[in-house]
Amino acid sequence: MTGKQTALYFVRKAVELLATLLLVSLLTFLAFSVIPGDTARTMLGANATTEQVEALRVQLGLDRPLPIRYLSWLGGAFTGNLGNSTQFRTSVGGLIVSRLPVTLGMSIIAFILIILISYPLAVLSSRRPGKLGDQICSVLGHILFAIPPFVLSLLLIYLFGSIFKNFSVGNYAAPNVDFGMYLQSLLLPAFAIALPKIAMTFKFLRSSIIEQKASDYVATAKSHGLSDLKILVRHILPNSNVSSITVISLVLSDILGGSLIVEQVFNLPGLGRLLLSAISQRDFPLLSGIVFYLALVTVLLYFAADIFASLSDPRIRIR
Amino acid sequence: MARHIHVLKVHHLTLSFPTRKNPNPKPVLDDVDFGIRDGEILGLIGNSGSGKTMTSLAIAGLLPEGAAITGGSIKFRGQDLLTMKPRDRRKMLGSDIGMIFQEPSTALDPLMKIGKNLDEVLVAHGVTDPKERREKILSTMSTVGFADPEAIYERYPHQLSGGQRQRVLIAGAALLAPKLLICDEPTSSLDTVTTVQILDLLKSLCRKLQMTILFISHDLSAVRNFCDRVMVMRDGKIVDKDTTSDILTNPKNAYTAELLTNAKLDTRMLGIERAHVDYSSSPVLTARDIEAGYSDRVFGKGSKNNVLKGVDLEIYPHEILGLIGSSGCGKTTLIRSLLGLLPHTGTATVVGRRIGAVFQDPVSCLNPSHTVKWHLNEALRVAERKLTKPERMSRISAALSEAGLDDSFLGRKPHQLSGGQRQRVAIAMCLITNPGLIIADEPFSSLDASSSAEILKLLTDINRERGTSFLLVTHNIHIIRQIAPRVVVMDNGKICESGLTSEVLSSPKAPATVKLLEAETKLHGA
Repeated sequence: MTGKQTALYFVRKAVELLATLLLVSLLTFLAFSVIPGDTARTMLGANATTEQVEALRVQLGLDRPLPIRYLSWLGGAFTGNLGNSTQFRTSVGGLIVSRLPVTLGMSIIAFILIILISYPLAVLSSRRPGKLGDQICSVLGHILFAIPPFVLSLLLIYLFGSIFKNFSVGNYAAPNVDFGMYLQSLLLPAFAIALPKIAMTFKFLRSSIIEQKASDYVATAKSHGLSDLKILVRHILPNSNVSSITVISLVLSDILGGSLIVEQVFNLPGLGRLLLSAISQRDFPLLSGIVFYLALVTVLLYFAADIFASLSDPRIRIR
Repeated sequence: MARHIHVLKVHHLTLSFPTRKNPNPKPVLDDVDFGIRDGEILGLIGNSGSGKTMTSLAIAGLLPEGAAITGGSIKFRGQDLLTMKPRDRRKMLGSDIGMIFQEPSTALDPLMKIGKNLDEVLVAHGVTDPKERREKILSTMSTVGFADPEAIYERYPHQLSGGQRQRVLIAGAALLAPKLLICDEPTSSLDTVTTVQILDLLKSLCRKLQMTILFISHDLSAVRNFCDRVMVMRDGKIVDKDTTSDILTNPKNAYTAELLTNAKLDTRMLGIERAHVDYSSSPVLTARDIEAGYSDRVFGKGSKNNVLKGVDLEIYPHEILGLIGSSGCGKTTLIRSLLGLLPHTGTATVVGRRIGAVFQDPVSCLNPSHTVKWHLNEALRVAERKLTKPERMSRISAALSEAGLDDSFLGRKPHQLSGGQRQRVAIAMCLITNPGLIIADEPFSSLDASSSAEILKLLTDINRERGTSFLLVTHNIHIIRQIAPRVVVMDNGKICESGLTSEVLSSPKAPATVKLLEAETKLHGA
């Protein structure tokens, strides 16, 4: 494996990334062009005359042929200009950025929770597979995994809002206004997103660790006189990480999807709510902007996962 | 401290796996009692399941969960190992007791460079100076025969061959020059040439570092020129122990004698007859100009590595064709191409019936969650679709009984079978499709001597009675010499020599053949 081959590998991955993004943007554009409903008509209301609607269509550029509209939108997208929202009459980019602290913050907190909880649990559980502690963890995991995030959200709101009374829904503060309040308002929703994912990650990690424990190189490490803790940290965890990277990147993109619903239940001004209003208002530029943004994040995540996997496993770069 | 003649003394050791249901099961080790003298190489042989590996794991303190030592003691240089704290015992590994295992391909952490893999041995034993560690590793690597240790230091395990990896593992075990080195089947997954090299290396290390070796093997021939004394194990007991020459030439114990006979795989003793081959008839398989390889191309750049560089081959009815060559010569790629499992160019024409295949490792060939009956039914379904249920059942039990197993095995799953029985199931799966040719890839190498002898007899019986042709790939030239009338030798992706076995093996022309025969002579004796 030469340095040149490694570089080529990364270049190939980057080209794949761009191609995927292009395809996603095309599909998004096409999908929203064929669904019924007219932006101009929605904006002006049912009472507007046909002439008024036509004039607005020309003003919005909706009269141009589809390929031209796509190309001009694409050109804008790659220069960071996603157009203006027909509903809010401000730039789509600005709207997305203003909602990011909620969605992104919640996702990051959820991800940290997943890693912080599932790893120690998996390590403890795999110490004595089949024993009581392991079985309790597994059963709890199954239950958590089966509950959809919005049900979990409602349960958490009831538990902390109505019984313990130390949380109130909708108490959101922007991070630059009151950072403590910001974190506090996101913690519970983040838990609602994280719990099922913790169950999933735990289950996967646990079986991966058990599998690695039985491997030959662990026997070798023992015969070299390494302590069990050292073998866990230096051999077993890195090797189970390699197989977990794919699962964790799936979890991450799932978190984004999950957060859209949970935002709604917790009444948080995030991307999810923006997306819903864009759909109901046929706010086409905003809609395609958000979908494009979500696709971008997802694709970037997988790209990062691929790069991370190849950095941690020397065998991957060969293919 | 008094000098101990015995480096290790195992005293009436008894070990079992008690469960709640059965608190007093049949012991896995039963009153095992032996000593290893300072500086000697002690062989421990026996069939699989006889307790060899359990003995070594008990000495190292690496017994699997659930194992309980119910009696006896293990003393290392006078110190009782069984009463030590587990942590202190673990510390002894690597510095006082070294170990080498069977499978070098998976025994190194794939994510770690070779140097790092070795470095942590020294770190674990308190060598703090990185420069000192590096020097120590490089010098040990050159001791175990690496010409360019600096380059190997930076490599990953997957970039090394099996033999090289085993050298790395030996280096790891020998880094701190432990007094006792336990080698558990260190050569059984290596080819003959590499086996000889590894045994030579161990022997010279033993002298240079004044190590004592416990050498575990099911391969009696590996023991021959290597061990000073040999012990024979059966069902958890040591049934015989003597000097190597006495054991091998003049066994007093009946079981040892039986093992020896089996290990020789002598066709006359096993009552094996050869089939008559008619070379004027048309071949069952004709392969022309087979080429196959792997590419590491990215965007059309990089190289295409041809593993097979134009192979021609024909196999005649009733024939057993031997295929030999050192590892990496392309044997496996060739048979995978012939079986259609790999993309290749060239033509392979099969006349008449199907091709069957028997592989080296019967464990990974069978699906662990299904029964023997399911496996045979699957194989039959592929061959013939329109059969009634009773017809299927009769075909299944016929194939099973031809492979030497009765109907009581139908409901068993792979883990309830021994290695030899698994290989029989794999053969039955072949037979049920009624093949004209069976390709057997190292069918003996994962089996112990007794099972190998049984499988050898089974395969030759099938050849004679059914007229099935065989392409037999093996590194055991001794077997080829006895049962294959014709042999092809492969080297570097090509057939470098072929012809009648008697001629090729008595007056070899190609250098690869000469090398193989030299290793064979060295290992097995003339």
